[in-house]
Formats: sequence, C-alpha cells, structure tokens
Amino acid sequence: MGMESYRQGLAGEEIAERYLSQQGYEIVERNFRSQQGEIDLIAREGDDLVFVEVKNYSARSYGAPLSAVNRNKRRSIIHAARTFIYRKRIVGTNCRFDVITIYRQPDGSRAIELYKNAFAIN
Amino acid sequence: MLVKIDSAALLGLEAYLIEVEVDAQKGLPGQSIVGLPDASVRESRDRVRAAIENSGFEFPGGYFTINLAPADTKKEGPLYDLPIALGMLAVSEQVKTTQLNGTVVLGELSLDGSVRGINGLLPICLSLKQEGKKQVMVARENADEAALVEGLAVLPVANLREAVDHISGLKTIVPHQVDIAALFPPEPEYDLDFADVKGQGHVKRALEVAAAGGHNVLLVGSPGSGKTMLARRLPTILPPLSISEALEVTKLYSVTGLLDGKHALITTRPFRSPHHTTSDIGVIGGGRIPRPGEVSLAHLGVLFLDEFPEFEREVLEVLRQPLEDGQVTISRAHSTITYPAQFMLVAAMNPCPCGNYLDPVKKCVCPPYRVKNYWGKLSGPLLDRIDLHIEVPRLKQEELAAQPEGESSKLVRERVSQARLTQQARFKGTEVHCNARMTPKQMKAFCQLDPEAENLLKSAILHLRLSGRAYDRILKVSRTIADLEGTDTIQARHIAEATQYRTLDRWGGEGNV
Repeated sequence: MGMESYRQGLAGEEIAERYLSQQGYEIVERNFRSQQGEIDLIAREGDDLVFVEVKNYSARSYGAPLSAVNRNKRRSIIHAARTFIYRKRIVGTNCRFDVITIYRQPDGSRAIELYKNAFAIN
Repeated sequence: MLVKIDSAALLGLEAYLIEVEVDAQKGLPGQSIVGLPDASVRESRDRVRAAIENSGFEFPGGYFTINLAPADTKKEGPLYDLPIALGMLAVSEQVKTTQLNGTVVLGELSLDGSVRGINGLLPICLSLKQEGKKQVMVARENADEAALVEGLAVLPVANLREAVDHISGLKTIVPHQVDIAALFPPEPEYDLDFADVKGQGHVKRALEVAAAGGHNVLLVGSPGSGKTMLARRLPTILPPLSISEALEVTKLYSVTGLLDGKHALITTRPFRSPHHTTSDIGVIGGGRIPRPGEVSLAHLGVLFLDEFPEFEREVLEVLRQPLEDGQVTISRAHSTITYPAQFMLVAAMNPCPCGNYLDPVKKCVCPPYRVKNYWGKLSGPLLDRIDLHIEVPRLKQEELAAQPEGESSKLVRERVSQARLTQQARFKGTEVHCNARMTPKQMKAFCQLDPEAENLLKSAILHLRLSGRAYDRILKVSRTIADLEGTDTIQARHIAEATQYRTLDRWGGEGNV
C-alpha cells in the first residue's frame, strides 16, 4: 500500500468522523485493534454502541464499496468488537455494525453514504 | 424479552403444533434458529430481514434466539417466516401480540414483505381444528384452501404489514369464508367424454364393469388402437366424489404442492399417468422427507400405467402393497407415515414388442423368445391383482371414418353409481366397499350362481383350463355384471361375459402367448 492511499484513508476517516458527529454519533474510539482484528471507529448513537467501518473509494476502484467488506473483513471487525466489549465490560447494550462509504468524485468533491446495521455476526 | 407464537408442522398428512419462541438479548447483532431447522428454515433469516425492512419496519438490534419447539423434531419448509417476523417485531416492541392469543400463524415471506402460500395447508388446518385451535393466519392466496375446514376462522393476509395491522388492532381482518357446497358442481365436469371414442364398444363395456366393481384392468392392444384414449375417460364414468372424498384427495395434492391457485378443492376423480421411467420412490412415495407418490395422487381415482412391461421391475413389485391394502406405509428412522392409495389400476401394453401380435392384417415380426421376455416382466402375483384383461383391437378403416357414437359418460356413470350403491349396501359394516375387494368368505356368501350358470362355469374351467385364481376373478366380475343389471343371483350370461374378460387365461396363462 502506497503512502498516497494511506493518506487518503486517514483523510476519509476524518471525513467520516465529522459526518457521524453531524448525525448525532458520539465517537468513543478510533482505530481500535485486537489481536486478530481492527475497527476504524467506535461510536455511541442513542443507547446503541456502533462499530463503524470506513470505506474510501474513487472512480478508479473496482466494485461496490459495501461488497469490499467481505467475510474476512467482517470477521476481523467482529473479533475486534468482541474484544472491545470484553475489555470495557459492556453489558446490556445493543450493538450494531455500520459501514460508511466515501466516494471521491472526479471533480474532487465527496459523496458520503451510511449503511446502518450493515451486517450481523452470523 | 420473550414472545411465543403458535405455528404448525406437517408429518405425513397430520400436523402438530409448533411454538415459535423468539428471544432477544442485548449485545452484538445476529440470530440463530434452533429446534432442528433444515436449510429452508435456516434461510428464513435472510427473508425475514428483507421483509421487515421492506415493509417499513426497523430490523431490530441485538442477538435473537429463535426456538421451534418441540426441539426434537426436524422442521422443514419456509412456513415459519411469518411467525418469526412477527415474533421479532413483537420482541422489539414494534407491535403488540396481545391480539394474537392462540392464533396459529403460517406463511412464507417474500423479500418485499408479501406473504406467500405454503404447501400442505389443508391437512395442517384439519389437524389444527382437531387440536381445538380456533383461528389461523395464512397467506391470502391460500385462504380458500384453509377455509375448507369448517369451524376454523381464517385470517388472510397479503403482506407483513396487514398481519401487523391486524395484530396491533389498527385494521382488523374479517375471517375468510368459503361455501364448500358451491365449489361442487351438480355434475362433475370433465373435458373428456366416453362419447368421443369411436367404436370399441366391448372395451367401453368392460371399462364400465371395471368401474362398477372397482376392478383393476389390463388393456392389451396394438399401438394406436386407443388404449390411452379409453383409459383417460375412465374417471368420467366413476361415481362423483363425495365432499369427504374430495377433501381426502385435496389433502394429498396440497401436501405435494400440486393445487393450483384457482381451485381450492379438487372435485373430480384424479387420473395419474406416470411415465414408465418413473422410479419406485416416485410411484410409491418416499424420499428423505416422505412425500406421497403417484399411487397416492391417484387415490380414489385412476392410476394409468402405459407401456406396463417397460416399467422397472421394482416399480411393478412395489405396486403390490397399495393394490392389496389401499394404502402405502413409508418407514423412516424417526417416523412411519401412511398415505392412502385406493386407486383403480389401468395397465396398458402392446401384445408383443412390435405391437402387431394380435393384428389380423399386419404381421408380427418378433421372435417368440422376445414375446416371452416381454410378458415375463409381469409377475404372477401382480397379474393376480388384475381382474379384467381386455383386448383392444385396431379400428377398421370404416370405423375410423365414422362419427363417434355411443353413450355419454353421464349415462354410464349413472349405472355405475347405482351398482356401487348396491355394493355399499351389501358390504355395510365391513372394510370392503366394492366387489373387487371381496374376501373368500364374502364371495361364498354373495356370489350365488343359478344351476345353469354353475354348469357354464364348470365347463369353462374344463375347456379353457382355467386356474383357481381365474375362477375367483370370474366370480367377482360376474357379481359386478349382475349388480349392473340389478340381479341378485348370478346367471349364465354374467358368467359368459366375465369369461370374455380373461384374455390371458384363454391364451393359456401369462407368458404363454
């Protein structure tokens, strides 16, 4: 992975954070990692704890961004989510996995889409 | 939080209650279905999710455990989609289930939230009625079928929204009703009629006798002589189905998913003609999840086996149990299922592989051993269960050119029905319902011959060298012929006609053609 795409990833996460805050999400954690997984953003929305995956893509990328959250990626997110819940001793809270996609259009502007409850643990 | 909704599962033609329990725990989102679901039940997860979202509800968060109780029987089919969806909506408090008390919910969900019909609804509803259930919620397309069961309120729903609106009291559904008597035409309606068939008067007469006594028939004739045409018209001369018989037939078609949406009730006698490549499971029923086979689909109707000797030997041999018992029992490790199979067997075959053996004009080119092999496929015990063997000759030129003439099916049917009534009175209080099924004891009691008839039968046995079983068959068939005439004692002319219907015996026994 080149420096360029890394920088874009960081930029994307910042954009996502800003967008989620506008939507009433309260960011709890960034880039949380467990042994076998990672999560871009963890937030609270109302009573729910939300694990958010941020996906950047541009016209040059292949396929729909949501489909890029494939089985392996989901497994990694779920593993990290379980670890987080365990470490923070979270009980009695409904959790959710959201995916946010940020599309960089050829003219440089960005289109953001939020998929709530995008997948489940099975 | 936990919600319970009643549903049902089918085992053979009986149903038992299933309790769909939905429990939600806060935590990571997901769900598991327990209670031995098969793949089609497990897949309901995805259908339910799409249906809930596309009906404008929110797919609830948290971890769902769905139990189909009792948990020790295997559940199959998509009929739990609707109760599961309602359960999930109830658990997440998007709907209150108080209005549901005791309603049995059955239905498959489409991704857009519409409710689809299920197979086997009629037998399920009949069983539910017996269990004392008062109300069912079913797909609108299935509502007629469910409403055939008297004393059960049927709530038809077209989609998940309607179901929810009813339960929450927003829009109550009026129970669906069907007038069974109105579904029954005064006369059974068939597209075919006996009057369509040209010539073949003696075959028509033989089929009338067969229909009157419930005898099985073997038609032997060259290709193109009209065996199939005649056999197809046999149901039209059988007595009309009674309401309870119609329900029995409909149950079997419901389980197999062969009911079309337009006719909730089958009011005519079935005619099944499986191809000779059909497997024994296809004929007798069975499979991992046992389903009725062709013999059961022909229940109370006609099973027509064209090219009889071309069927696999196993297929022909498995026919013996249903021919004897009028039912089929399928045993599996967990359960034994019995399907009814009271049918009239009509078998058709060529006299030899080339088909010209009996033809007065065309010459048979088959070497004798091939003819012998051809007949050899039919075992003695199987032929034993066929009372009438009828030759169907090829029509002559002038007969082909002539207009079809002869009696309509309606006229013949009236005679047949009358003869059946006589038999019902005769066998009242026994398991037997037609002459073909008479026990030896009953034969002794009911087949009295006058002296002339006795002499004729004796000389027939002598001259035609008839076997003991041929003797029994002739007696039974003469009883039926006498019944058609309305005579108590069997007379010489009845014996004479019955002897005509033993072609194979006159040839000197099976395989000696």
